[in-house]
Amino acid sequence: MNYLFPHQYKKIGLMVLLPSILFGIGVIITDFSPEFLDIKIKFVLSETPFSSLNNNLLNEILGVLIILSGLVVAFSREKIEDEFIEKIRLESLVWSVYVNYILLLLALVILYDFDFLFFMMFNMFTLLIFFIVRFNWQISKLKKTSFDEK
Amino acid sequence: MKNNIKVERARNDMTQAKLAELAEVSRQTINAMELSKYVPSTVLALKLAKIFGREVQDLFELEKIDWK
Repeated sequence: MNYLFPHQYKKIGLMVLLPSILFGIGVIITDFSPEFLDIKIKFVLSETPFSSLNNNLLNEILGVLIILSGLVVAFSREKIEDEFIEKIRLESLVWSVYVNYILLLLALVILYDFDFLFFMMFNMFTLLIFFIVRFNWQISKLKKTSFDEK
Repeated sequence: MKNNIKVERARNDMTQAKLAELAEVSRQTINAMELSKYVPSTVLALKLAKIFGREVQDLFELEKIDWK
């Protein structure tokens, strides 16, 4: 039991993750918010209960898509998920948690108000992204350097 | 830990890919073990010994740096 998805899911996850990230960055840059996704939301859990606010659902949808597909890409088995691959997976996970929290610590100290909030928006996804990049980079490095000697 | 995987593989005229297939691991794992970059689990060590028809001690040997 190692809590991993089947290998085939990795491709499906990537097909959702990459467009979602690109679209998400586009949305941030252009401030795109299509009218049909505007809804009125009643807050139950807030300082002023049952107040309401107009919200565009696009960023919520993209956030959910990036997190779910990111999890699937990060935690799908490799074609042959053996003990050595598992070790690389663990090392990459430790590495990405360190990097993510070092950045978060820096941001905590040097960024304030909306700058910090803007950083936190990315920080929701960076742990997964760092892990995915580091793990796959390590695996591809192995594939390149290990040639078959008779 | 030193190992004789490469020697045994040559003796049995086996490619890394073939050995990987028999041991049910990836070729990268075989390569990493031959380069002493990875120490296999007991299960994998026993599997390799069985594939070559040897004892585990014939394949793997402790080194001084393993004691600390």
